[in-house]
Amino acid sequence: MKAGSDAIGPPAVRGLRYDLQIVMALIRHARVVILPIITTVVILAIWEAGVRLFQVSPVVLPAPSAIAANLVSNFGLLMYHAGQTTSEAAIGLCLAIGIGFCGGFALAYSPMFRESTYPHMVFFQLTPKVALAPLFIMWLGVGAESRLAFTIFIAFFPILVSTAAGLTNVDESYIRFSKAITASTWQTFLHIRLPFALPTIFAGFKIGVTMSFIGIIVGEFITSQAGLGYLILFASTRAATATIFAAILVLGVIGMLFYAMVAVIEKLVLLRYGSR
Amino acid sequence: MSVQQSSEMVRVDGVRKVFGDGPKALEALRSVSFAVETGQFVSILGPSGCGKSTLLNMVAGLDHPSTGTVRIQNELVVVPRREIGIVFQDAVLLPWKTALENVLFPIRIMKLPLADYEPRARELLDAVGLAAFMDHRPSQLSGGMRQRVAICRGLIHDPEVLLMDEPFSALDTITRDQMNVMLMQIWERFKRTALFVTHSIREAAYLSDRVIVMGRRPSQIICDEVIRFPRPRPLSIMDSAEFNALCAKLRAKIDEAHGFDSGELH
Repeated sequence: MKAGSDAIGPPAVRGLRYDLQIVMALIRHARVVILPIITTVVILAIWEAGVRLFQVSPVVLPAPSAIAANLVSNFGLLMYHAGQTTSEAAIGLCLAIGIGFCGGFALAYSPMFRESTYPHMVFFQLTPKVALAPLFIMWLGVGAESRLAFTIFIAFFPILVSTAAGLTNVDESYIRFSKAITASTWQTFLHIRLPFALPTIFAGFKIGVTMSFIGIIVGEFITSQAGLGYLILFASTRAATATIFAAILVLGVIGMLFYAMVAVIEKLVLLRYGSR
Repeated sequence: MSVQQSSEMVRVDGVRKVFGDGPKALEALRSVSFAVETGQFVSILGPSGCGKSTLLNMVAGLDHPSTGTVRIQNELVVVPRREIGIVFQDAVLLPWKTALENVLFPIRIMKLPLADYEPRARELLDAVGLAAFMDHRPSQLSGGMRQRVAICRGLIHDPEVLLMDEPFSALDTITRDQMNVMLMQIWERFKRTALFVTHSIREAAYLSDRVIVMGRRPSQIICDEVIRFPRPRPLSIMDSAEFNALCAKLRAKIDEAHGFDSGELH
């Protein structure tokens, strides 16, 4: 099938080859969708069969069908908790983006700030931040404030680092050019550094999405009366394993939606400020 | 002020440049002085590392002499000035802007009225044969086309002096000849003082009214040669006996100063 272009044979055969090429191209494109679906179906089938065959206790591992049934019957409950988690994660992420971006900007533009804070930032980066969660409860109580603060704390760092790196790692020749045409520092930032930094900054935002969900779930584990983290912990005390899986599934979907949203915004921004 | 002084656009006076300090200090330029008349096309010719780019950067206000002064229109150059247009070795076009937007970018930065300069930007792009590529982004243009956009961008705000730092050295020889012809045409049309840094003897001889030859570090001017070919100059003058004699003469001057190691000059 590799060479449909060598036009041998009567026109009808050539036309057929052309049609076949289109079909093959469609299949090639569809692979990216079809293959993951097949993987999913196969895994679920083995899981379902295994659980039924070996009569695994639903407390240890519920069958996919049981999880699906749980998802449907508890849908309202799941959505209520999901709403809490989503709104707090969204607020946390937005604040983390704001703080991370401003911090990265300061890091890139103020040598004084950079030199005086960088070792501490590395220190905090190397500390398992989950270990600090109880401190936030001591300081801010068991309300949304401590969950948000903790989420921001855990999510802002990759955004800060990527912003600083993106703004700093601009080809020196562009900076010289910018100076030569009498651009101010602010103009150089706005017209040169920031557009060049956007892909790196968005990479940081994407890590921030993941981190903010880790932050919010850990926060809900230890403080909350609502949210998917709370639901998971609560369900575990009742041995409602199917509910745990259903909550995790919902969590995964929300996380993907957040990620997709950032990816779409990135696409739109890079349509304007990309290098193509 | 005498008549001669008033027609003087650029004056470099006793410029010395030392990089670093202490025992590791590197003297790049040692006492360089010259003046460029208004409307003159002057090339600075020299081997790599002779400090000719440093010199150009000082005229652009991007670098500062250790001692000595650089003046444009009798005013001391301390920071980059609007009287200057500059073209670098790389085109440094903004990849997200079209050719036209790139040409107009300095206007935006200088906060001049964009609408007033758009016709000029189109005229410049048209003059370098890019009329059909105004809405193309740099990634869709060849290396030679990108450098032509950069030249238009250097000229957009109607600067008094156009500085060019080996603008064609990254291009192949055939494209380079074409670019030289194009530069010649656009220069004759917009007639600005031009300071052109190159390590090509033939390029310098073809383009310039005057060639300033610089020696190796620490550099000094070793030769200042007036080129008298009439303009406009067709590319074919490069094949003439006079042209080749001139190039031989310039090469001899360089060899005289360096021994026979001018191999990288061509």
